[in-house]
Amino acid sequence: MIWIHVLEGTALVWSAEEAREIRERFRLVGTLVGALARKPRQNAHLGLPLQLLPEEARLLAELGAAVLVRGTETQPPAEGEEPTQVRDWLLQGARTPAPASPSLLLSPLPDTVEDSGLLDSPFVLPHDAMMVQLPTARRCLGQVERVDWTSPSPDWPHPGRPAHEARYRVFRELWGRGYYLSGGSKFGGDFLVYPGDPLRFHAHYIALCCPQGDPLPLRTLVAAARLGTGVKKTLLLCSPDAGGTLAFTSLQWSGLQ
Amino acid sequence: PTGRGRPSLAAPSCRMEAELEPRARRLFSPAELLAARTRDRKVAQCSQGQKDFIPDGSEEQAERLHRCREEHWQLLAEERVERLGSLVKAEWKPREGIVELKSPAGKFWHTMGFTEHGRQCLLPEEALYLLECGSIQLFYRDLPLSIQEAYETLLSQGTVSLLQYQVFSHLKRLGYIVLRFCPSAVPSQYERQLNLDSYCKSSGKHHRKRKRHSSPRLQAKKPKGSGTPPECEGTPKKASDSCGSPSHPASGRSCLPEKSKESDPASGEVESVQVPTDAAQLSKPPSRSKAQAEDYGKAAGDSCSGTHLPRWDFNRIAFPNMASDCPHTFLPQPDERLLPENVAGREADATRWRKLVNQKREKLSRKEREQRERESRYKSSVNADREVRRCSNWQEYKELLKQRSQRRAGRRPSHLWDQPVTPLVKPDQVASAAAVLQQISVLQPSHILDGASRLQEDTEGMKIDFSVYQADAVANFKKNDPGKPYARMCVRRFDEQIPSLRAVKQLACQSEDVPVIFALVDNGDIAFYSFKEFKLPVDIYH
Repeated sequence: MIWIHVLEGTALVWSAEEAREIRERFRLVGTLVGALARKPRQNAHLGLPLQLLPEEARLLAELGAAVLVRGTETQPPAEGEEPTQVRDWLLQGARTPAPASPSLLLSPLPDTVEDSGLLDSPFVLPHDAMMVQLPTARRCLGQVERVDWTSPSPDWPHPGRPAHEARYRVFRELWGRGYYLSGGSKFGGDFLVYPGDPLRFHAHYIALCCPQGDPLPLRTLVAAARLGTGVKKTLLLCSPDAGGTLAFTSLQWSGLQ
Repeated sequence: PTGRGRPSLAAPSCRMEAELEPRARRLFSPAELLAARTRDRKVAQCSQGQKDFIPDGSEEQAERLHRCREEHWQLLAEERVERLGSLVKAEWKPREGIVELKSPAGKFWHTMGFTEHGRQCLLPEEALYLLECGSIQLFYRDLPLSIQEAYETLLSQGTVSLLQYQVFSHLKRLGYIVLRFCPSAVPSQYERQLNLDSYCKSSGKHHRKRKRHSSPRLQAKKPKGSGTPPECEGTPKKASDSCGSPSHPASGRSCLPEKSKESDPASGEVESVQVPTDAAQLSKPPSRSKAQAEDYGKAAGDSCSGTHLPRWDFNRIAFPNMASDCPHTFLPQPDERLLPENVAGREADATRWRKLVNQKREKLSRKEREQRERESRYKSSVNADREVRRCSNWQEYKELLKQRSQRRAGRRPSHLWDQPVTPLVKPDQVASAAAVLQQISVLQPSHILDGASRLQEDTEGMKIDFSVYQADAVANFKKNDPGKPYARMCVRRFDEQIPSLRAVKQLACQSEDVPVIFALVDNGDIAFYSFKEFKLPVDIYH
């Protein structure tokens, strides 16, 4: 079960294994929005958390593969004794194995532990030289609360909004046909449709959701079609209607021959 | 059941517990920590070559995809491991909404953070960014926070939203210096002209405090139009010291309401004097200077001045004309009520003094004399005109000018000017082809700031969030005096309405002459949009 953490209406995934499962098993791409642990001060490669489109999160919840949760309190009450345990262990020079605890963070370098037999005098590792892990995801996941994805709430305001519902129908249909989908704002559309994983393939379509009955000015159509031609992609107009059917129209710019 | 669930889910809460078992996150073993110390700090580009067009089910493609993915997951699975000695300890203070540093700050202190009561503090977005970079260790209730917990704790306070943080961290990673925008700290163009902004540096303490508490509550207290807040702009040192020396946020905040109350009577006074004369075109700089002049007078002089109406009617007071052409030389003794206590007034006769003034004849050099001669052929002094001398004040003079222009207009040929279609241009109105074009132009060039100062406060919920400074200014950057920013950012969601012209004008007005850039966030993808100014080409080069 994948846990999707909701923050102000945004769906985030904090675990690398879950991000992998979402991409490889469910064909959902998402966007990485955090700093990369190895090299945080650049924008070319970002790291966790993975931000999912509201449509992607809803799809996973509908399939029963994920739950939407939100964090409540940061510190569970049972951890009150933890810091003292760690402190005592540190004071002993950290020569014994660390006290077993799921939330232990500090570890000495293994050098000291292995070499302890060779030295005559006890060697105390300087506190500053210890390596510390700054964990990305929550250590203890007990303090979370389920969020209902079917009804709107301050944490998840999307259900019921007509724009979201229309987009979701288009998303679900295209995803069901085996495509990979991602956000389309870079190209002036709602979604970008890829034939395969975006890591290896370019997008083929720019999907634009036009609910039936909404006026579509001609200049918008021309602008979108021009843009599609300019970037060598086909414009796909998607129209969900009240009856439950979806109509797809693709546009390609051709010269007057 | 923890009892924290919503009432509607109370019944299945037992099942909920069973489904959401607490999972322990993977923590590094000592061997892994050591390995992390020696891991490569470089990030390779995707080494699998150009993208393919369409999946063809081949082994090659599958293999390349697999390798790409493996690299990707490997990078993502890495965790931050830092030397304890190089981490700065910081603690989150939820009540104040800031992060306090518990050990001395590192290199980041040059461009981030502020000092309060002698403690070094960071804003929540700065602390979160530094945590993601691995420079600090953030504690809350004595336990260090993970990145996820920090996101959920620091970003839910209402001071910084997730969207704003995404833009902030994006810009910081590119190397820019990003500060929160403080509207009252922007010196207007007029103030910069007067060099008043260099005096503002003394009230730097106010800047810091207000930056932290740039909540809408405080901003709403300051009317932007004519009631200029005198705290930041041109506050005399005396007043600022009295307000700023107990540098405690509570007293700072209580100071502001006092001052804004002071400024309101001043602005009221200003408005009552100015409205009769120039109601329509109340442009910004003169009104602000008047308000400031009033405030200077008030603060520097008496602290208890409660007079709000002018005590003298300047329409009826005639100033004595002591010039050489006027016989007024006798000044009576001034009224004792108008004088301070131990100053005695007496009458004066200026005849003797007048005789001493201007005794030396002006001697012109030969060049000046020649110039005067040449000019006297076609130029004449305005004061030599008898009709002008008959005017005793500006109003009469303007009346005279109006009459003269009407008389001239009376000489217009009726066959041209009395028809329904009249000429566009009069012969004496234009001196060049450019002026003619100007007269007949349909579109007037306009600047974004035209009329912007007169707009009402409501900006459709848009506000400027950050000021951005160039990365190459880091060496000379001073936190207390950052100077003029490179741009100002307004963070919006991609699916929100495009701003109307009115909102754009208001934002440009708030930002004075620094361009405003809109950062649009679409589910993690950020794009920057701004308006660019350009001039339409003109036919005639003038």
